[in-house]
Amino acid sequence: MTDTDTLPPAPDVAGTSLDGTRVFTISAEENAALCRSTGVEPAADGSAHPIYYYIATQVAMGKTVAGVCDTCAFDVEDGPMMGSSGVRFDAPLKVGESYKVTGEILSLVRKRSRKLGVMDVLTYRLRLHTLDGAKVLETDNIWVLPRKELA
Amino acid sequence: MMRYAIGDALPPFVIESVSPEAMKDWAVFLADPNPIHLNVEVVKAKGLGDRVINQGPINVAYMMNMLMAAFPGGRIESMDSRFLDNVFGGDRVVASGTITAVEDGRVACEFTLAADGRGPVNSGTATIAI
Repeated sequence: MTDTDTLPPAPDVAGTSLDGTRVFTISAEENAALCRSTGVEPAADGSAHPIYYYIATQVAMGKTVAGVCDTCAFDVEDGPMMGSSGVRFDAPLKVGESYKVTGEILSLVRKRSRKLGVMDVLTYRLRLHTLDGAKVLETDNIWVLPRKELA
Repeated sequence: MMRYAIGDALPPFVIESVSPEAMKDWAVFLADPNPIHLNVEVVKAKGLGDRVINQGPINVAYMMNMLMAAFPGGRIESMDSRFLDNVFGGDRVVASGTITAVEDGRVACEFTLAADGRGPVNSGTATIAI
């Protein structure tokens, strides 16, 4: 018997689709503002700042952050925390290019933590595609959802 | 072409003072108006500190800037970032790293983002095509 056996199970959300319906376009104006807000000038070769891997997938996925939390039976007001984020690029992101998102929740695992008490660890995967379907990148994000009510 | 070797230190990328104004811009970029990034009273009420909290992806962008400056003409192929602690408005943060492998036109590195007085707040690894 493990120490999580006494806890109610985490909601079974693995496989939930996060496919988006909207198109995300990286504008030159926003890319320039974003670059300067992080202390650099925009690239001269038409490439966008690579942090758009996160922004484009997050904004154009099929659910908002609050919606993903709701799927996990978690109130976004309880403070989800980013645990990690990984990305694998197949091609650079480009200014003026339009993209769409596919993805899914991979897992939601309930754990005990000395620091946070009971928490659910959410892992979801998103892919960014050009409008003709070519995959540009894949990203896995891990969020920690503190379950104060179970602590 | 520049030569790289295992153990080489990457030039640090420094943000002298994390900008609360930039957080307002990023709330728009991310379409996420979470008030812990915008309203210090909310941060205080939640017991998270007494300054607004930088959005996590901005911290990743600082580390990307360090990598792109270290490898001119290179391209980030993969990157993993761990979020260890919050970065607050007004923090001075430094992204720095080290080369861990050089092979077949690629360089692997490990890196951190550290806040003055508090140590690493992010860490990660990346592979760069050079």
